[in-house]
Amino acid sequence: MARRYDSRTTIFSPEGRLYQIEYAREAISHAGTVLGILAKDGVVLAAEKKVTGKLLDLSSAKEGGYGGSGEKIFLLNSNVIAGVAGITADANSLVNYARTAAQRHLFSYNEDIPVEQLAQRLCDLKQGYTQYGGLRPFGVSLLYAGYDVHYNFQLYHSDPSGNYSGWKATCIGANNGTAQSLLKQEYKDDITVEEAIGLAVRVMGKTMDSTTLGSEKLEFAVLTLDKTTKQPHAKIYKPAEIDALLSKHGLAKKEEDAEMRAV
Amino acid sequence: MECQVALTGKGYVLVAADTVAARSIVKMKHDEDKIKVLGSHLLMSYSGEPGDTVQFAEYIERNLRLHQIRYLQPLRPSPAAAWIRRQLADSLRSRSPYSVNLLVGGYDIATSEPHLYWVDYLGTLAHVPYAAQGYGSYFVLSLLDRYHNPEATLEEGIETLKRCIAEMEKRLIVGLGKFKVKIVDKDGAREIEL
Amino acid sequence: MQINGGSVIAMVGKNCVAIASDLRLGNQALTVATNFEKVFPVTDRIYLGMAGLATDVLTLRERFRFRVNMYTIKEEREIEPETFAHLVSSTLYERRFGPYFIEPIIAGITSPAKGSKPFIAGADLIGCLNFAKDFVVVGTASDELFGIAEGLWEPDLEPEDLFETISQTFLNAVDRDAFSGWGAIVHIITPEKVITRKLQARMD
Repeated sequence: MARRYDSRTTIFSPEGRLYQIEYAREAISHAGTVLGILAKDGVVLAAEKKVTGKLLDLSSAKEGGYGGSGEKIFLLNSNVIAGVAGITADANSLVNYARTAAQRHLFSYNEDIPVEQLAQRLCDLKQGYTQYGGLRPFGVSLLYAGYDVHYNFQLYHSDPSGNYSGWKATCIGANNGTAQSLLKQEYKDDITVEEAIGLAVRVMGKTMDSTTLGSEKLEFAVLTLDKTTKQPHAKIYKPAEIDALLSKHGLAKKEEDAEMRAV
Repeated sequence: MECQVALTGKGYVLVAADTVAARSIVKMKHDEDKIKVLGSHLLMSYSGEPGDTVQFAEYIERNLRLHQIRYLQPLRPSPAAAWIRRQLADSLRSRSPYSVNLLVGGYDIATSEPHLYWVDYLGTLAHVPYAAQGYGSYFVLSLLDRYHNPEATLEEGIETLKRCIAEMEKRLIVGLGKFKVKIVDKDGAREIEL
Repeated sequence: MQINGGSVIAMVGKNCVAIASDLRLGNQALTVATNFEKVFPVTDRIYLGMAGLATDVLTLRERFRFRVNMYTIKEEREIEPETFAHLVSSTLYERRFGPYFIEPIIAGITSPAKGSKPFIAGADLIGCLNFAKDFVVVGTASDELFGIAEGLWEPDLEPEDLFETISQTFLNAVDRDAFSGWGAIVHIITPEKVITRKLQARMD
């Protein structure tokens, strides 16, 4: 029965469902986990990388750039970073759209785009792809971590249907149920960025398949306010910084692992 | 002969504009309101080509209202002024440019600061402590150089504004009659009597 | 070009460059604002100064910010001064037959990968670039600036000496021009840092 209503474009099934959107959501639930935690003095994003391997050229992530491998966490504007889960090719196109939208806002209004407005812009685009003929929806969910003067630090989630919502802590991608219940247990309303970083690392450690964490499987970013300028400052961690963070929280690879890899 | 004056003080902006609608040498109207309230904490006075002025002011007013309905919060003074400037700058290089000069005054609730912007028909934007448009500016700006105080209370600010209006009444060859005065502070934008 | 007034100058020193503008915004002979800066940071190491019609100064500053931000975020590196100069040139030439009424000046230091060399350039209103080795001037006081800079500038000035040279050149030039002045702002750009100073000037 379903095949009659989902093979071509997004049209309602007799039960009132849009199968293409449900399939897009399914694609996301297999993607690398991304979690976000809103603290009182910042926002934290952590993501699990799926594309790994010894032969992958990661030289561009080590020095220069904004940090990150360009797979999961992106800088959208000076006040917004995003973590993506789903089809990476779709995500790249959305990231480019978001960056242009943010710059267009800066051009017209001479201020950084408010975070919710940017999320709304992307959702308008995503919603359009669930309605117009001949197109498939974006197979991407995003977490937006941002700052603006209206609501200070914020965390939003948007899905392929074009819905978005604000969160104190949330998770998308594989094992998001486990992560969310962990976050629900451990989240406190007055959590600081430092505590949120620790919580993010611990939850990632429990949800990821591999027993040991390392920079080749993790991306990490924090948005805080610069102490002197009071402007938002996005920091996407470089591989070495992620390893340092993991060892600080006692989750890094054991020494013998490293020796074994060397052999 | 149209004149507008505006000045900032401690936590407020005062905007004053004449109320004459003139065609050639004839005063057609004595109670024209040339200051639009663009939002809860935003004011804009306008002068220039008759026809253009009201058309442009209403265009700005309705678009800022639409923005507030869409995004649930009004634009703050600085982005509002930047957007208004862009409309004039784009208009300047269009087939039929608006010739409208503005003073935009607002109170930023997020930072608790008053802001005043001088904008001309070319799309020039200046963030200033006090400003004037029209022939009156030649008398009034030097007065404000002498008497303006950014820390002045509302009473002192009104006193300075009265001086400015009196000077225009005295030195301009045509009297402009009554001035309409509006204020914007933390409590919002409203009209006041001098 | 004389509606709003204003002047900008840039000079090369030893491993450093300096760029300065006045602060006046006028409406013909009437001074409207005395806080109107005409020099803007493009990156941490590049500054862009524009003299001419103020509305176009603001519009172009916003256009260049848009283009440079998109360049930076996509390339994941900062733009080189010379690349930026060509961006300025092509943006202006795009309006060859209905130009922006400004003349730009670019001052910066190249990236460490390119040797951290000083770079300055000027252009006319349709984007004809002038890669000068000593100094470039634009604005209503450009004639005065040319004359004084010709006399005061010398090669290989250290940052502090370059600051003194550009400040004296600029202040004395704008004092002879009714459309420029009312204070000035100077940026000294070195490979390590940028020093920004406001200058006291004649307020008349």
